[in-house]
Amino acid sequence: MTASSLPISPEASNYDEVSMQQSLMFSDSLKDLKNLRGQLYSAAEYFELSYTNDDQKQIVVETLKDYAVKAIVNTVDHLGSVTYKVNNLLDEKADEISRTELRISCIEQRIRTCLQYIDHEGSSQQSLIINTPKFHKRYILPVGETMRGSDGTKLKYQGSFIDNVDDWYQFRKAVRATIKETPPPVSKGRPPGQSARPPQRSATFSFTSTMPKKDLDKRTVSPHRFPLLRSGSVTNRSVTPMASRPTTPNTSRPTNPSPSLAGRRYPSEPKKSASMRFHAEGENAKDAEQNPSKSKRLLKALLSRRKSRKDETLYRYLDEY
Amino acid sequence: MARAGGITNAVNVGIAVQADWENREFISHISLNVRRLFDFLVQFEATTKSKLAALNEKLDILERRLELLEVQVSTASANPSLFNT
Repeated sequence: MTASSLPISPEASNYDEVSMQQSLMFSDSLKDLKNLRGQLYSAAEYFELSYTNDDQKQIVVETLKDYAVKAIVNTVDHLGSVTYKVNNLLDEKADEISRTELRISCIEQRIRTCLQYIDHEGSSQQSLIINTPKFHKRYILPVGETMRGSDGTKLKYQGSFIDNVDDWYQFRKAVRATIKETPPPVSKGRPPGQSARPPQRSATFSFTSTMPKKDLDKRTVSPHRFPLLRSGSVTNRSVTPMASRPTTPNTSRPTNPSPSLAGRRYPSEPKKSASMRFHAEGENAKDAEQNPSKSKRLLKALLSRRKSRKDETLYRYLDEY
Repeated sequence: MARAGGITNAVNVGIAVQADWENREFISHISLNVRRLFDFLVQFEATTKSKLAALNEKLDILERRLELLEVQVSTASANPSLFNT
């Protein structure tokens, strides 16, 4: 058989042809190794007959020895070739499996990356949906006051220690009336009906309104940002039976006559009252120490102002302050 | 004559015994090489079996991993909304 008559050329570039050629050669080697057994058996029978029938036994024995040696060498060659091909085939398969493992690992890594990306995108989308409310730290809401958050939820400030809404409302209304309406001052010698207030008083109460914004910001960060901390008498009123009422505002009764301005006016008013209170306390510290009952009477007057707006008792006590 | 015939027989017997020992030595060499060849075949069988077992185990692992990947890909293909974000 010549090289040109071979169906598979040795320079086969295609991988399938090379592998097919190797498999054919491997199968031929296995067939030769399998036929070697029958050849050895037939040779043994031939030499046995020759040794018994032929007279030249020495020649038969020498021929048998040569044939046995050649048969063993041929068998070793065949076994060596077959084992080499088997080892080579196993190594190729092992390498192929290793490459397949690497490819599968790459695919798993890609899938894991895709899953992580999907999880990250989902979490980012969910985090964008949630709008966390942001409030300025200057906004101090009294108890029961509600305001709309950025997400539309009602938020209520419960940090103040005046639990009673009505008390707070009366107190704030009375103080606002004393500050903004600038009621006529009444001297000690005048009757309570007359309204002639000295200009020093009005200047004192309008101090916070004309105060620059810088000072206002400083006051917001001061520890006295809760203006009602000093009003111990008002605080003590929270333990009265009136305090047992619910702190949430009654929706049927608005807390401000103008609801549109509620969100703007309420946070700033406690600071004004606090400024007024601090200033007044600084001036009348001695008077307050000498007359501790004056503050109680003042608060009672302020609270009773709800019943009659023309109660001049308030002005009288304010003048005494 | 008888002494000469006895010596010839002794020489023939000696030659036969030497040939017999040579044949025994040759057979022992042949049997030794056949045993070595048998040992090699046994060792080759064990090595090949171990390699095949390792390959089989690797193929099983690869098969399971491929099945898992197929399930994951089929699940992802069943929910195309995941890729539309």
